[in-house]
Amino acid sequence: MKGFFGEFGGQFVAETLMPALDQLEETFEKLKEDEEFNKKLSYYMNSYAGRPTPIYYAENISRKYNTTLLIKREDLLHTGAHKINNTIGQGLITKFMGKKRIIAETGAGQHGVATATIAALLGLDCTIYMGKTDAERQETNVRRMKLLGAEVKVVDEGSKTLKDAVSSALRDWITNVENTHYIIGSALGPHPFPTIVAHFQSVIGRESRQFFIENKESFPDYVIACVGGGSNSIGIFKGFLDIDTVNLIGVEAGGRSSKIGDHAMSINHGEKGIFQGSLSYVVQNSIGQIANVHSISAGLDYAGIGPEHAYLHSIGRVKYDSVNDDEAMEGFYLMTKYEGILPALESSHAVGYFLKHHKNFQGKKVLLLLSGRGDKDMGIVNEYEKEKGIL
Amino acid sequence: MKGIYILADYPDKKTFEKELTYAMNSNIDFIEIGIPFNDPVADGPTIAKAANEIAERGYDLLSIIDLIGELKKKKVYLMTYSNIIYKFGVKKFSDIAKGIVDGLILADLPNRGHNFFYKLGLEVDIINFLTPESRDNAIKKLVNAEGDFIYFIGVRGITGGEVDFNNSELRSKYISIKKEIDKKVILGFGVKTKADTKTIMEYADGFVIGTEIVKRQNNYKEFKKYIDEIFTT
Repeated sequence: MKGFFGEFGGQFVAETLMPALDQLEETFEKLKEDEEFNKKLSYYMNSYAGRPTPIYYAENISRKYNTTLLIKREDLLHTGAHKINNTIGQGLITKFMGKKRIIAETGAGQHGVATATIAALLGLDCTIYMGKTDAERQETNVRRMKLLGAEVKVVDEGSKTLKDAVSSALRDWITNVENTHYIIGSALGPHPFPTIVAHFQSVIGRESRQFFIENKESFPDYVIACVGGGSNSIGIFKGFLDIDTVNLIGVEAGGRSSKIGDHAMSINHGEKGIFQGSLSYVVQNSIGQIANVHSISAGLDYAGIGPEHAYLHSIGRVKYDSVNDDEAMEGFYLMTKYEGILPALESSHAVGYFLKHHKNFQGKKVLLLLSGRGDKDMGIVNEYEKEKGIL
Repeated sequence: MKGIYILADYPDKKTFEKELTYAMNSNIDFIEIGIPFNDPVADGPTIAKAANEIAERGYDLLSIIDLIGELKKKKVYLMTYSNIIYKFGVKKFSDIAKGIVDGLILADLPNRGHNFFYKLGLEVDIINFLTPESRDNAIKKLVNAEGDFIYFIGVRGITGGEVDFNNSELRSKYISIKKEIDKKVILGFGVKTKADTKTIMEYADGFVIGTEIVKRQNNYKEFKKYIDEIFTT
């Protein structure tokens, strides 16, 4: 079996999908070196999505905590998050393979919107799978996807969240593999998906590294990013993996508590397991059933994590920690009130981690990845404030 | 080779035991026993819903294998998903299942992934799959494959779908597979009626019925009636 990072990864999927995975791997290996493909890719990344994204010096927070906080602004991209880096890349792959239809799963709706957007741009048919619970809490994104011409299939099965959306998308792909490409939204699933998604997201790390080189600055002491499946974090980590002085920190969703069902901490509270295509860390029970997970952020609400993260954890290169719902909300408020930037609740976990450990960062240089903007989360923030009696 | 797929512990332990006993004493050649997993990506709504229910309730794999050992009169294959065996412990599973279970069918493990489990100490054969998408080199690789049979998934899709077993694409794919491979090749996914089974037996070595069985597992009478209807010649 191919596609392992150390002991993690692989291709744990139905035999039916193997020819499609082989075809995808062959196409990707060819295209990633192809001049014409890369020209097209950077054309859309720049003129359509808005790359390169800036790195902003967060002056107020830096002053408040006596640190140097730099923010990589993926929230400024078209459609509001880093997800579009991957959908442009895989959308172009779909075109090159001659397939006419794309499908995708979505949790928070960001990847669904990014996929529907690319479908509209490239003239592809598009179906998005979304768990019922997520569709209800991210109504605006459902509307956006429909306006963009995508069919949104609401999945009323199992836990009705991202896990079930992925399963439904896989079932669709098994059935329609001849004419359909599945644009998986995070750096997970069977090989070659974790590698492909990381490849298209690594532009975040490349630009960040370039920033320090161009400005003749020293590299940061810390890079902090949130981790659900792990696509934004793998993207930025890729830029610094070979520089030992840069401490890399992935922040998992601690949810309400560390009790099973209350969180989405695959590395911190999961065990090795085989889930949705790869061997990685999985939140599961004693007989190997996938656990229900919770996070205030729909995009981190997933029982697994990309296999490359499991590997980076196993060799100690990245430290995986977590913050809970409340701490993430504190991060959300901090970024909003002090810098005038409304972060997505996913990214708020990275901010929450910074806030929780700000003493460790005194006199240090911190690069924080703001993977998305928070406009989509207003409903959840309202609900949170009602529950807490703030509103 | 005519077989059924039956979901372990569904709808409850007692009914399952009664139905398994009935199947063991019927005209069936082999029985696949489904071990529930709550992310059954290869299964259609009928089996997925039932499997989710049992997975949520919890079950004891050891006692299911014990029960199979007690009742065994036919070839028995366990069908499940990789994580169930991985989490249980591959070597531990192998030591218990060896001698009772004739093969393992893992719906989310492609043929080229078998070694992953063998390296972890599995000494039970894993059944190979072929599909309408299988390329020639994938078929040729199975000439000397392990396992009592090859599971041919006749449809692009999941369990319980609509399939015309008479369609020429399916038939010719099957025939081209048999030209390469000596081993028994069993058709699964979408087999529903007596008419389906008659059509299949015109050109194939056998079949397995799953969804239609699981649909009837919560009604012993219906279950018996269906088995009698399909498997009485």
